[in-house]
Formats: sequence, C-alpha cells, structure tokens
Amino acid sequence: MEEELQRLVAAARTEVENIGGPAQLEEFRVRYLGRKGLLSGILRGLGALPAADKPRLGAKANEAKAAIEELYAAKNAALGPGQANFRPVADLSLPGRRPAHGRQHPISRVMAETCAIFAAMGFDIAEGPNVELDYYNFEALNIPAHHPARDMHDTFYISDSILLRTHTSPMQARIMERQEPPLRVVAPGQVYRCDSDITHTPMFHQVEGFLVDEDVSFSDLKGVLTLFVNKMFGSGVGLRFRPSFFPFTEPSAEVDIACVICGGKGCRVCKQTGWLEILGSGLIDPAVFEKVGYDPKRYSGFAFGLGVERVAMLTYGIDDIRLFYENDLRFLSQF
Amino acid sequence: MKFTFDWLRDYVAVNGCDAARITDILTMLGLEVDSAAALYEDLAPLRTGRIVAASKHPDADNLQVCQVKIGAETHTIVCGAPNARKGLAVVVAMPGTTLPGDMKIKKAKVRGIESAGMICSERELGLSHDHSGIMELPDGTEDGQVFIDALGMRDTLFEVELTPNRPDCAAVIGIARELAGKLAEPLCLPAVAMPDNPGSASFSVTIEAPELCPRYSARLVKGVKIAPSPWWLRKRLMAIGLRPINNVVDITNYVMMEYGQPLHAFDFDTLAGSRIIVRAPGDVEKHFVTLDGSERALDDQTLLICDGEKPVALAGVMGGLNSEVTAKTVNVLLESACFAPVSIRKTARLLGLVSDASWRFERGVDVENTITVLNRAAALLVEVAGGSQEAGWIDVYPGKKQPLAIPISAARTSRLIGVRFSSEEIISLLTGIGIVCKKIDDDLLHVTPPAFRVDLEREADLVEEVARLYGYDAIPMRQPLAALSYPDQDLAREKRLRAAAIMTSLGYHEAINYSFTTSKFGDMLSLAADDARRRAVRLRNPLSEEMDCLRSMLLPGLLENIRRNISYQNTSIKLFEIGKVFVPKGQDVQPDEKVVLSGVLTGNSFSGAPPLHFPERAVDIFDARGAVEFLLEEMGIPCGADVIRVIHPFDDGIDSFAEPETALIFFAGGAVLGKAGMIKPAVLRAFGVKQDVAFFTLDFDALCALPVKKAQFAPLPAYPAVTRDIALLVADRVAAGDMVEAVRASGEKLIESVALFDIFRGGSLPPGTKSVALSITYRSASKTLTEKNINKTHEKIVRLLTDTFGGSLRAA
Repeated sequence: MEEELQRLVAAARTEVENIGGPAQLEEFRVRYLGRKGLLSGILRGLGALPAADKPRLGAKANEAKAAIEELYAAKNAALGPGQANFRPVADLSLPGRRPAHGRQHPISRVMAETCAIFAAMGFDIAEGPNVELDYYNFEALNIPAHHPARDMHDTFYISDSILLRTHTSPMQARIMERQEPPLRVVAPGQVYRCDSDITHTPMFHQVEGFLVDEDVSFSDLKGVLTLFVNKMFGSGVGLRFRPSFFPFTEPSAEVDIACVICGGKGCRVCKQTGWLEILGSGLIDPAVFEKVGYDPKRYSGFAFGLGVERVAMLTYGIDDIRLFYENDLRFLSQF
Repeated sequence: MKFTFDWLRDYVAVNGCDAARITDILTMLGLEVDSAAALYEDLAPLRTGRIVAASKHPDADNLQVCQVKIGAETHTIVCGAPNARKGLAVVVAMPGTTLPGDMKIKKAKVRGIESAGMICSERELGLSHDHSGIMELPDGTEDGQVFIDALGMRDTLFEVELTPNRPDCAAVIGIARELAGKLAEPLCLPAVAMPDNPGSASFSVTIEAPELCPRYSARLVKGVKIAPSPWWLRKRLMAIGLRPINNVVDITNYVMMEYGQPLHAFDFDTLAGSRIIVRAPGDVEKHFVTLDGSERALDDQTLLICDGEKPVALAGVMGGLNSEVTAKTVNVLLESACFAPVSIRKTARLLGLVSDASWRFERGVDVENTITVLNRAAALLVEVAGGSQEAGWIDVYPGKKQPLAIPISAARTSRLIGVRFSSEEIISLLTGIGIVCKKIDDDLLHVTPPAFRVDLEREADLVEEVARLYGYDAIPMRQPLAALSYPDQDLAREKRLRAAAIMTSLGYHEAINYSFTTSKFGDMLSLAADDARRRAVRLRNPLSEEMDCLRSMLLPGLLENIRRNISYQNTSIKLFEIGKVFVPKGQDVQPDEKVVLSGVLTGNSFSGAPPLHFPERAVDIFDARGAVEFLLEEMGIPCGADVIRVIHPFDDGIDSFAEPETALIFFAGGAVLGKAGMIKPAVLRAFGVKQDVAFFTLDFDALCALPVKKAQFAPLPAYPAVTRDIALLVADRVAAGDMVEAVRASGEKLIESVALFDIFRGGSLPPGTKSVALSITYRSASKTLTEKNINKTHEKIVRLLTDTFGGSLRAA
C-alpha cells in the first residue's frame, strides 16, 4: 500500500503540470481527492490490514493526502484567485442561496414600535399580571361595583374578586402604589373582554401610558400624544382630541386620526366620519390619586391607552381582527 | 340615543347649520355622533295617489280593481287590501321601483287584469309591522306628490353614542341644551301648563322604601279614547325605531325621549284601592308577569310598584301585564318617578331586562323635573286621546336634597387645562348649559349644577366641563418638562424581544394564540391523570367550551395552528410563541403567570428557501434540537452536555405526548429548562394533524434567570493546527455523541476541537455495527506540532475510545 500511495503522488505531480484552466483543475481534484477518488480508493483497503500496520500506514496516507492537496492548492493559486471554484458559464439568473426567514407577529411589531417611541421620550416600560384583582381593574380606577361604566367592560371572571383584566389601566394603580412621582411609564400587554365578532376578539392588546408630576396639564397630554401620533403615523396626519368619558380620567379625551384609508373623506372603515379612534386618554382623576395615596392638590398627570390591534389594522390595512389569532402563514409571512 | 333633525329643531334654532355641522359640534362636545343619515331615501320614488274608483275583481273575491289618480295620470291597480275604497289617499309604488327588503315592483297581470304598480301597506314601506291593510294617508293629501315630502318625512336621523356619565343627553332636550350652549341660542322648552294649586286627587301614593325611591309623582287622566296615535307622533317614534302601540303608550315614550324621564301609564281601573305603594316584595311575592307576558322571578331586593293588593310594576324596569293599558282602558294613571340607580341596575341585571326606562334610571334622571314631565304628558294625552286631567296630582318627594355648592378655583382650572381662564370666562362657559355660578372672590367660584347633571359633583368634574365647552382643539400643545432619565428596562421583556429575533432568523414565524384553551386539551395531549398541567384556571363565564380555561401550555394552540395551516395547503410550518401560561394557586388567589417559549415544526425543513439550493428534507428532532442550541448560544447560554441530555425511553420526565425514542431534556443547573421531541401520531390525530411534528418548549422565566456568559477574548493562535480523522467500528447502540464527549472530556491539552463527520452503516460492515468518523483538530499554543507530538495524543485517544466503547479502528 505504501508503494501505491507513492505512485499516486507521483502521477498527480506529473498531471498537475499539464493543467491549463479551472475546469481541468476541478477534474483533477475530483479524480484524486474526491470522495470516490483515487486516494479514497486506496484508503478503503486500510480496514483489511493487520492492526499492527494500521497506525503507520494511516500516517503515510495522511502524508499522501497532504501532498496532493498542496499540489492542488499551488495550481489553484497559480490560476488566479477563486477561479477554480467559479463556473465559467454560471447562470446568474438563479436565486441566491438565501435561507428562509420567519417574521415577527404584526402585534408584537406594533407594540415594540409603540414602546420604543415612548422609551425614547424617557418612559419606563413595565408589565403586570393578566389575571387581575377586581380591585385594580375597577375599584382603584374609580369604577365601583354596580357602576354603569362596568357595562363598557364585558368581563371574564375567575371568581368574585379575580378576573381577566379588561384593560391595561390597572398598571396605573399598581405602579403608583409603589412609586412616588415623577413617573413616566408605558405598560403593554394582553387584555380580555367577552366579546367575539368581526371587530372584536376576546383577547387583544393595549399599551397603557401615564405621566405624573407637579403641574401636568391637558396641554402636556396633547403635546405628548401628538408627538407619538406623528412618529407612529407620520407627521402629516390629521389629529383631533374629542371629549369622552372614562371613570379614571377627567377631563377625558378620545384621540382620533384622520382616516388613513380614505384620507378623511369618509369610507366604510371610518364609518363615513373621516376619523378613526386610536387612543383613549385624559388627566388622571383625583379619585385615583387618592386611592394610591397621592395628594391630588400637589400632583397631576395624564394617562392614555392605545388599542394595538386597531393600530396594526390601520398600519397594514387589515380588515378582520380575527386574522391576528389564526396564525395562518399566509397572513404571518406578509409582515 | 336616536333623534331626528326635525325634532331637535323644536327646541333650538340651528341657524343654518346642516347635519354635517351639527355632527361636528356634538361630537366635539363629547356627544359622539355615530351616524347622521337621511331618512326614508329608499321611499323617495313613491308617489301619493287617490283611489277614484274601486270595484270587485270579476274573478277573485278578495281583490279589488282600483282606479288610482296620480297627478295627471290614472292607473289601474289590483289591490287585495280590505280597506281599499273610493276617495282614500294612498301610497303607490309604480313599476320599476324597489321597496325596502329588495321587493321589486313590476307590471303584472293579476287574475287576468293588468295592474300598474302596487298600493302599499306600512309594512311594505318598512314603516311598521302593520299589514292589515294599505296605509291610509291623511284626508287632505294631494295626489301625484312625492310621498315622503307630502307627509313631511324628509329628515336626518342622528345616532349619538352616549357615555355613561351623560344620562341628561338621553333626551332630545338634553342634546338641544348642549347645542344651544355652543351656538349661544336660547333653549326653547315646550310650554307646559303648571297649575299653582294642585287640587285633591282620587288616589293615594305611599313610598315604603324612600331610600330606593326619592320621588314619586302621579296624575290621573280620565275618559281617554285608546286609538292609534296621530301621524306626527307616529312619524317621530317610527323615525327613531320605536314601534307605535297606541296613543297612551306612544305619549309616554315620546315624552321620555323628549325629557329623558321614563313614564309609566297604568290602567287606573285595575288598581285595587286606588292606591300606589312603592315597596319591597312581600313573603309570598316570588313571581311577577311583566307586560311582555313573561313571568319573572323576584328577589327580595326588587323594588315593586303595588296597588292596594298586589304588585303592578317592576319599579323603573317594566310594567305589569295586570295593569297594562289596553284597548278598553278609559282612565289612565301616569307615573313620573325617580328610583335609586343601583337598585334598578341590580334588578335589570338579575332579570336580564334592560329597557329604555331602566337604562335611564341606572344612570340617573332629573329628580327635580318629574312634575313638569308629568304635566307635559298629561296635557299631550288630553290633546291626543281626549279625556280630561283630574285637577289634582300627587307628588311624594322624600329624597329632596340641598343643592350643591362646589368650589372651583380659576387658577387651578387654568393650571390643569393649560389655558389661562378668568373666573368670568368660567362663569360664561358654565351658565351657557344651565349651570349656576356664584363668584366668591377673584379666584373662587361656587357652582351649583342643575339636578339633571348627575355627573357633576367635584371640582374635577367642572374642570372637565370648562375644557369641553372651551373646546379641546383650542387648548394649546406643550411638551412636559421633566428631568432627563434613562430608566432601567425590564430585562425579561428585552430577552423576549431578543429570543423572538433569534427565532425569526431561524425561519420560525411568530404566533400569538389566545390565553384561553379548551379544558379538553389534557385528554387531547394524553397527559397523565395526575399531570399538574391538567389543573388549568377555569373561567366562570367562558365564551365557549373551546375557550373555557386559561392555558397551562402553549403546545395545544400551536398544534391547532398547524392543523389550520395544513387545511390551507401549507404543509411546511415553523412556528414559535413566547407567551404566558397560568398555574393555579388556589381559590380566590391570582394564578402564577409564567412565560414559556414553544416551537413546532413540520414538513420540509427548508421550506421558504430556494429549493434549487436547499433540496427538500423532512424536519426531525435535530431541527428542534438545533433551534434550541442556537437560541441558547445566542442568548449567551453555552449548551454543553450539562445542558442537553438525551433521554432514554425508560426515563422519567418524558412527556406523554412525545415519542420516547426521540425525547430530549434540557437542563439548567439541576432543573429542567425545557424539552424537545417528536409528537406521538395518536396525539397529532386528536388535533387533526396527519404528518410528523417536532416540538420544543423552554421555561423562559428560568432561561432569563440563567447567568449570561460574557464574551471573553482569547488570543489568536500563533501556530498551525493539524487535523486527524478517526473512523471507529462500534456497536450500533453506542451513542456517537458520547464518543465526542469522551474526547472532549479527555483533558488532552493539544486537542482544540472534535467533530463528528460521518456515521455509516451497512455495506461491508457487519450487522449491528456502525462506523463513526471523528475529526480531531490538534494545536499547541507554543509551537508547531510535529507528527510525533500528535501521534502520542492521538493514539491515546484511539485507545480511550476503543476501551470505552468497545470498537475497533477502521482507518485513520
């Protein structure tokens, strides 16, 4: 076998001299070094040899392999950089060798963008429990039992005092209970209402936000939310603050943007009004401050809640909210 | 709240504002107009006609052949209505028109006689359910006119979405008051005669539960004639979607819509003892039949209106069948009362009976206005249904309150809104909507809200009124001043985002499933009876059986996603989800919420990449394992043998839904960090999936708690490496990974790395054996290695492997 290896190296040395181009060099590589090449052919005989000879002949074989590889490498270098591996008639219309890539869910994407905008304004990001106490979801937010405002929340109950949070607003009370002003916080998360149709899913997402300090006014609320809307939807978008009612804010305002579908002329999406509601907001009600032990004479603040699905639907032109939770690849791969 | 433009203009001059302008003004006052739509547009093609002759159809007993004059023309129309008669003014739909409900009118022969159109009933016009005959128009109606103009029906219907704090606007007058304030126009209320000296009444009222009924006013109207209401009244009710019943009921509804005060009409002659008693149910009163004919169970909190013997109405919710106004009613007792909101709300919820009345009482009605409303209704009743009002009325008012005097500071108001207001400006804004203000000093006002504004109790409520009336759009914008800060970000959230980015880079799409699942998931996954994950948090009021508990695992949702995708012909799927699962901790305690990362994969592993370069290969356990290894490494958690353990089929800890032959468990320290494997076909069948699915799942909270390996620079090697291959023939059952691990664990300093590069079975190899080929890279930090240096170590390794795994060397 030793001789066989020597002969092979000698033959290779002669042959490599006559190689003129990359195609020939590749043929050479395959014939000598390929998996079914001459060298492998010889090595297959190793198994049958006596065990005592194996280590020595193994070493020889490695030497032969190294020698031929060196011949190949030298010729390859001589022919010019990279040429040996470059097919002279490559079909460049073929696709690149691109591995498949997955996509982030549009809800995650919008939540992350929203949080990033507020984080850049110095807001902290906090999360809270999805299964919440009635106290934080309602009582602490100035919604006592038997208040008609509870009609605005179709609530899933676990027990008399435990429920699935119907909004992210409980985070206002939870954070204010344990931290003193000044506060700037956004709280993203899942919320739940027992309602299911083409515009409602029993679970959806909100981003809550609030800012508490001395001397915070409705002007500040307008300033911060306008800045957010301009970053999220572009600086040209029409915007209005409209009086509304939430038990935990006063004054309360809904924030509408000019319909992104029809540009404000009126269409099916905006129910012919030209406006789309995207945020609920307001100055934090003094009753909420009293519950968490803040002095409403000293502190004021504003709070807001953003419907993530709503923003995602507007941003991407999605017309059925249920698509978000079907996890259909035809849907997920679009974002 | 629905009302029409025409009705609104009864109380306020709109000065040329069109519907769009009114919509805008109301919406910006916080009375969001959901829609403002032209009424009866679909009836615009219809014309009025007059039947100038009517004769029996020669071939049909029930039909008449009518000659109908429509302006200059006269048409023959066959009509089946019993009330078709000569001289009657009617509504005609000519051939080519389409009636509500997509009914197309064509020329047709009816029993041999050509009929040029149709004379319409109210039901055919979509006005009411009345189909007893054709609609009879008022006598003086001229023929040939546009029907909706002839009857003054051209109008706009507004629909306002009221917030719970504004029950005063559940009334056309309430809406008009807001508009009048904004337009600086007077509010014109209906003229109601209010005799100064109430005479005696022929009935009595007793309130036994004054805390639940602060006021009860009533008045008797005698000798009424029950009949359909006149057209003007029916028209207004129909326009807002209320069905006309008879003149008495229609008036109570009309006045409720006008003032927001619910009214009830009793047939006075059914009231035993001519008495009204407001009280809680007695011991034997367990059931009550409301006027819709339903028997309602009462609880001991339900407030009742009773006569001398029995209940006659559920207070504030619905009247009783036993005292209902019928066609035979002659004497009507009108009730105009006020009930405690919480009591009404409880009753309405208990009985599942939300009426126009209960909706208003729950939110609060104007306790000061019951008499005005009562007199308005009584006067209308006399006007419309005849009869006469009894001179006296009864007003029991145990709940009269002192008017509030709420202090409000102009300076604080200015600071909160961000606009400088003088006290005069505040007074001017508030008085515009009927709020009484008294100036105390330059800054302080005492404000007395009218009784209908039940929502105004504190300074904050008034600040809102000032901001609202001033106009939110006029308030300037400002950016808050705050100290610069760089808050610590929530690490778990950052890691979730990072993990999601890694998973998508691996070709996995992110899924988000509901937190709900079906309690059947444990059986579907064939979880052991005592598996803790079976104990899911149950919802008390689930939407459906499919969503009756909170998930304790992500896998069921992801498997359902796979089923769904396959049904839409996507058979190659890689999905991951990072979400919360819920672990119960006992009754009346919030469950633990744990974050889990799970992935599922099925079909072609290279789906989505160009098939030319990535030939199809079915996913297997190594895809799942690779994803986890990549994820952990990228998250800074090195995953050597101490993290990933191959589980043997007889080991504990294999999930019952996983194939034991391919189960993997990941460890962190001593604790289980996650698992991976292939799902059993029987389990997949339960989810409706017929192809192989691999999964992995990681305890993400535990992952976040692991120490992250900090990158540490190692000097670049100065000397070359030498690679040696070893092929060993070993028994098939030997784990090749253990061989790699054995080389790594040998502690030989010259070994830089070791890799498996081939496993081969069959061919010339003896059955029950395989060839395992390893490639070992040697390097020294201090010199270029010679053959001799390497041989010594290499031989040691070969010996180690053959000794440990019982194999023999095949080649070098």
